Formats: sequence, structure tokens, C-alpha cells
Amino acid sequence: MKILENLTKINRRYIFLLVALAVIFPLVIPMKLPTIPGKYTVKLYDFIDQIPPQSQPVLIAADYSPSMMPELQPMLEAVIRHCFAKKIRVMILTLDPNGAALSEAALKKIAPEHGAQNGKDYVFLGFKPGNALVIMSIGENFRQAFPTDFYGVPLDSLPMMAGVRNYADVPLVVSIAGSAVTQSWINFAHTRYHANVGAGCTAVSTADYYPFLQAEQLVGLLNGMKGASEYEYLNQKNGYSSAVQLATKGMNAVSIVHLLLMLFIILGNIGYLVTRHNQSKK
Amino acid sequence: MIFSTNPWVWIAAILTLCIFSFLYKENAFYRFAEHLFVGVSAGYGVAIYWNNAIVPNLYVPVFHQHNYWFIIPGLIGMMFFFRFSAKTGWLILIPLAVLLGTGSGVYLAPTFQADVLKQMQSAIADATNLELGGWGLVWGLVAFVGVLTTLSYFFFSREQKGALKISANIGIWFIMIGFGASFGNTVMARVSLLIGRVQFLLTDWIHIIK
Repeated sequence: MKILENLTKINRRYIFLLVALAVIFPLVIPMKLPTIPGKYTVKLYDFIDQIPPQSQPVLIAADYSPSMMPELQPMLEAVIRHCFAKKIRVMILTLDPNGAALSEAALKKIAPEHGAQNGKDYVFLGFKPGNALVIMSIGENFRQAFPTDFYGVPLDSLPMMAGVRNYADVPLVVSIAGSAVTQSWINFAHTRYHANVGAGCTAVSTADYYPFLQAEQLVGLLNGMKGASEYEYLNQKNGYSSAVQLATKGMNAVSIVHLLLMLFIILGNIGYLVTRHNQSKK
Repeated sequence: MIFSTNPWVWIAAILTLCIFSFLYKENAFYRFAEHLFVGVSAGYGVAIYWNNAIVPNLYVPVFHQHNYWFIIPGLIGMMFFFRFSAKTGWLILIPLAVLLGTGSGVYLAPTFQADVLKQMQSAIADATNLELGGWGLVWGLVAFVGVLTTLSYFFFSREQKGALKISANIGIWFIMIGFGASFGNTVMARVSLLIGRVQFLLTDWIHIIK
């Protein structure tokens, strides 16, 4: 009984150490835990998959900063890889001041893998402050918010942008965000301009977006690192990518840490109940 | 174990370890990394907003295109700096009023439509759509009951007793399940962030994993 009571008094540093080990071991020693794509990941994947090659571009909004990279960068890379492998054109912008460097890095890494060319297969619009105002401005014309691309080239001089005016010319907007900005994409791009919106968000905010899936305001949703690993799995299964699957590797560690945390929660509660029982007897 | 020869990777790795050292206890290394982060973020933010907001939206229109109307919103925006003076601090009410007024106007209608009307429509449609059949209909009904009972929990205009109390108690269960789902996802998110840093240390810094 004394042991059970002491469960609530374990030094937190031992718990940190165990969590660190639970993270490091699955990363160092490869594990092959199964990946089962969720319904909403498949929905987003299928939506992108049916977009005809070399047609209207997908708009990806990479609205996140480095603190959310582990969850969202693999997600962005997986979506870009899928698009490039299917010869689907891509436009990338960011409403987060830190997002430009991250999304540009992803483009520069993946474009050469698929021979994608700037201006022809993708356009990088860069950062623009103003969240909702930028989203509404695109509803009128991309050129209002972004007269030039990130490198200062006028949009009208880019071959890919011919005939691309506003959301009516974009089959899908994918909002990959670590903040509530996805809500703005739903409120303005979808509700006001009737654009199809898909989302990828940090696991913290996933629960907030489920109601929008049920109401079909989102075509699909990627849930944190889990969603990214599912997308990586689908890419690899369909032969679109053979790149290192960062999120899938990470998910092995997530699974082990979750088991450990579940054990801690159960033991902590047992300890709490025993302590309370003993105190009530006294 | 082969250490990286890239000095930037070393700086990032050392700063990561400085931050992790807080898990043992608060110390000077953690404080240094924390202050460095705050300073760099602030400086980066100022530079980014200057180049992406002030220059294209104020400097270029006024000085290059000679659209002098842009001076008015520029001046209203600059009135925020009055907060630094105790005597003239009340003047920031003017830009605040403009900001709140335009913000409310821009957000109110689409937010109400997306967050309230569309959600209500969906809750009712899923609970009454026989075409969904089987489990689809069951989950639609569960969501419908969840919405009603949760709303009843937040109905404070009448004492919660009788049917209202039963409904509110059921609502609490739905709220708790919602909190549980959020907490579970939050744990996954925080663990993912830790994994990201550990992946960086093991991959880019000491090359243990590829």
C-alpha cells in the first residue's frame, strides 16, 4: 500500500527521463508499427488525387512558425509531393511572418525531386500580413493581395497564373496552420467565396475543427503528426514518394510515449485513490 | 556517432539543450536561450512587418505612387504610440475604435454564418437524414442530443432543476468527453514537438539516425 501511495510522489524528473527514453529508442531502433489512414485524411487525399494534372492550381496556405514544424512541415511536404507527383500545379502563400522561410524550404527541397519549375508548376507568393483581409482580397483577385510573387516577379508574367484570377479558378485551398487562421479560411474563402477548403492543423486544435467536417465546410482534415504520417503512407502506397517519412518515424515514438503516459495516468489515479481511501479511514 | 560540422546546427543544438535543461531546474543556460529567443523573435517580427506591411501598404503608395489618402490610415495607426504617454494615452481609443469597428464589420456576418447557422443546419440535417441509415443516423442523433444538452448546461436564466437539470447533467458528460478528446490531442501535439527536437538532435547534429 505504501508503494501505491508513493506513486503520487514520484520525482517528475524520473518521468521526464522515461519519456525521453521512450522518444529516443523508437527513433534509433526502427519499428514498423502499422499506419492506418483515417477517414478525413483519405478524404483530403482523394480530393487532391482527382484534380486533373496540369490544370487549375491548388492553393496551399502554410500559416505556421518553426515551433509547429514537427507536426506541420511533414504535412506540407507530403501534400506538395502528392501534387507534384500527380503534376498538379501548386500556389503557396503564408499569413504567418515565420511561414515564408519554412514553405520556401519545403518547395526548394521537393521541386527538384519532381522536376517542378517555378512559375510553370508552382508559384511561391510569400508572406502577406492581414489574415482575413488577405483571404477576402484573394476572393476578388490574387493580384490585389499579391501583385508579385515572393521574388518580385509580376504574377501576370508567370505562365501558370494565366487564367487564375480568384477562388473560382482554384479547385482546393489547403490551410496548414498552427493557429486559428484556418477558421478565417473557412469563414471567408469557403463561406463567402464558396471555395473548397481542406485543413491540416496541430493536434491541439483538431478537436475545434471536427464540427466543420461534419458540416462539410472542410473537405478533409490532417490531424497533427498522425495526419502527416497517414498522408506520407498514402503517398508511398500509391508510388508517389519514396522520400524519408519523417512523420511516420515520429509516430512510432508517439505511440510508445502514449502507452507510457497511459500507464502513468493509471498508476497516478490508483495512487490518488489509495491515498484518499487511507485518509478517509484515518 | 559523427557530429555535424555545420556551425548553425551546433548553435541550434546547443540552444535546444539549453532549453531542455529547464526540465532539471531553472538555470542560467535556460534563461540565456529564452531571452535570446524573445529578442530574435521581436527583431525578426519588426523587420518582416516593416518590409511586408509598412513599405508596400504605406511607404510605396504615398512616396512612389503619390496616393496621399494613405496618410490618413497611417496616422490613425501611429496613434497607438500615444499609449506610451500618460497624458495623451486616451487618444489610442481612436485607432482602437476604428480597429474594433472594421473588425466587427468584417468578421460578424461570415462568422455567424459559418459557426452558428451552418452548424445548426448540419446538426439538424444529420439527425433527421434517414438516408444516412444505421450508424450514420445514430451518430447524427448523438451529435444532436449533445448540442441540445450542452446548450442547456449554459442556460442560466432559470434555476437548473427538473428536466433542465437532467439535460444539463447529460450536457456535462458531452463537455467532459470533448475536453478529453482535446486533452488527448494536446498530449499528442506536445509529444510531437519533443520528437521534432529529438529528431533534429539525432539526425542533423550527431547523425545517429538517417
